[in-house]
Amino acid sequence: MRARVATALCVLVLAVAGCGSSSAPPPSVAIPPIDAQPSGAQEVTTTPGAANADCGDREASLRPGPLPAPGAMPPGSTMAAIAERGRLIVGVDQNSYPFGYRNPATGQLEGFDIDVAREMARSIFGDPKPGDPDRVDLRVVEAGQRESALVNGEVDLVVRTYSITCERKKTVAFSTTYFNAMQRILAVKGSGIDSVAQLAGKRVCAATGTTSLTALLRLSPRPTVMSVTSWTDCLVMLQQGQVDAISTDDGVLAGLARQDPNVEMVGDSIAVEPYGIGVKKENTDLVRFVNGVLDRMRDDGTWKRLYDANLRSLGPTTPDPPSPRYQD
Amino acid sequence: MGAPRTPDAGASVAWLRRFVHTTPGVVSVIAVAVAACCVIAGVVVAGQLDERISEHDTVLDHSEPFAYAAQNLYVALSAADAAASSAYLAGIETPRLHARYQQALAEAASALADATAGATDADTRKSVAEISGQLAAYTGLIESARANNRQGYAVGSAYLREASSLMQTSLLPNAEKIFTANLSAVDEDQRAVGSTPVIGLGLLAFVLVAIVIGSLLLTRRTNRQFNLGLVVAAVLVLVVIAWVVGATRLAASSIERSRTDGTARFEQLAKARILAQQARTDETLLLIAHGDITAGQITFLHRIEDLTKQLDTVHSTAVGGVNGWSQSHHTQVAAYLRGDYAAAVNEAIGTDPNGSAAQFTIVESTLRDEIEQTRATLRDRVATAGAFLAWSPTGTLVLMVFAAAATLVGLWPRLEEFL
Repeated sequence: MRARVATALCVLVLAVAGCGSSSAPPPSVAIPPIDAQPSGAQEVTTTPGAANADCGDREASLRPGPLPAPGAMPPGSTMAAIAERGRLIVGVDQNSYPFGYRNPATGQLEGFDIDVAREMARSIFGDPKPGDPDRVDLRVVEAGQRESALVNGEVDLVVRTYSITCERKKTVAFSTTYFNAMQRILAVKGSGIDSVAQLAGKRVCAATGTTSLTALLRLSPRPTVMSVTSWTDCLVMLQQGQVDAISTDDGVLAGLARQDPNVEMVGDSIAVEPYGIGVKKENTDLVRFVNGVLDRMRDDGTWKRLYDANLRSLGPTTPDPPSPRYQD
Repeated sequence: MGAPRTPDAGASVAWLRRFVHTTPGVVSVIAVAVAACCVIAGVVVAGQLDERISEHDTVLDHSEPFAYAAQNLYVALSAADAAASSAYLAGIETPRLHARYQQALAEAASALADATAGATDADTRKSVAEISGQLAAYTGLIESARANNRQGYAVGSAYLREASSLMQTSLLPNAEKIFTANLSAVDEDQRAVGSTPVIGLGLLAFVLVAIVIGSLLLTRRTNRQFNLGLVVAAVLVLVVIAWVVGATRLAASSIERSRTDGTARFEQLAKARILAQQARTDETLLLIAHGDITAGQITFLHRIEDLTKQLDTVHSTAVGGVNGWSQSHHTQVAAYLRGDYAAAVNEAIGTDPNGSAAQFTIVESTLRDEIEQTRATLRDRVATAGAFLAWSPTGTLVLMVFAAAATLVGLWPRLEEFL
């Protein structure tokens, strides 16, 4: 009797103990697909300080006086201090073909902006003699650092696809317009994006701190706007299928399009972007001097020569240089 | 068991009850109880000591090699990143720089295989899977960067920056997770080797108490002061206690040294090595980005500061190399700031023995050698701890069996008097 009860108990205990284990396999490792993005890429919905500042004619600058001869800067002027130092320090870009980029074959910075910067240095120091040290010191500044570089005195001038805006004129001074850029769209061929209207519901990329970003955020309906550090980051995101289009100035887009035969510039201009040379706000004498040099370049054909050398990819004909406007 | 209690069985239980109150009964109970306790305690102590020896085997055969592999993985990954950006900076990369990148990738793959063998828990396996996936994506981005760079497209540098960001924000943290987990496993196993076998020692003490009580009972029943068998058993138990305490103390102190001179130093050196690699990547990325170097420069200097601190705490001889490297870096930054890009690049990746590349190599190889030495020290100390314990399970078991035998042999004459 007792033995039977004990046996029954044993069987019961074993059966209950066995209930815990089942034939389900142990969980295997599962990871999501790896989708790398450029560092700092993020979606933006508002630009900081996007208040629509109004300053009248944003392109109006300070009227130049008579241009001093190279090597004979007026004593006590900002130009004299630069001449004393021996080098003109200019903030430029190195990723924006055909305005400012590093030629991989030579390692040198080249482009329209770079040539304009050299022209400025030539007007201060005169024609370089053979064996002379380079009179222009090109410093690469990111788009979002252009104002601070000027304000902190790290550079004398910024010649870097720099759109003149009322917002920026609060902190820095601009020269007269030396180039009119059109903000357009770069999309993959055959993607169906061929106008601004098509951008609705699409993901569009622009660099942080640029007017292109602000213009995109003003579009209605507003596309999904991704901001990145550098324009080439936008091309990476386009090639990786993380954005559908890039929108900025035609010059920059032409530079990007040159690096990928599968993309093309489409649509009408979203906005006209007048490029000016950025100067520290206090250095009004330097602003007038730069405007004087730009005037000379417009008149003596230097501007057209530089355009032909750098910007022929934008169109078959050489346009006339933008005419200067002055506030005084 | 469970048999119905027959009148016969009831009678035998009653007889037993009466028997244990007789002198021969008491002697029998003492003999059986003490002998049994001796054998049980011997088996338990031997088992516990054996556990420590197998933990020691685990450290030497599993956890330490896995931690070493994880360290290699961590270092090889960051070395690949540093090599990739150096090669990119060279423009059309030299075979030497490309070979270094390939070498780092091969080392990372090997280390990943070794580390995978140690990935027993789900978290580590997930990290390993993520590293495999991310490494494949990483090399893809590097090849995109190379292909674009060869055509002179600036978008190449954007691919390189994306790759490096993937490395710094995903791959390296995953590798660090594995490394930290494996190191703490080593530490845990090490501590297990040197831990005191408390249950075994408790049982041995209990055996001693049993012998003393047995002796007192025996004295009362037989009017003899000492029983030689019980005295021998007590002495043997004392010898075993001394052996167990001595061997585990010696092992523990050896383990303690393996942890301070080995594991802790190993971790510090490995971290220093990673910091050096990351600083090297920062340094080359500064030049590749061609941009404002303020932010990157701050990161670099922070890393160098951390690196120097780390090297100071472990008294590493790599400090000299770091100083030379810092000097070369300053030269590089000065060249960059005055717009002499070619000179800056040459200072960063050129073959000048005082240049950053050569100085970094000195730091790297010094740290690598010191890590190898530390590893040898760690394993040596753990092996020593194992040597202290080597014969203890067999020895204690044999001695305790002798103690049981001595008890039985010693008490037999007392029992014989009544037969």
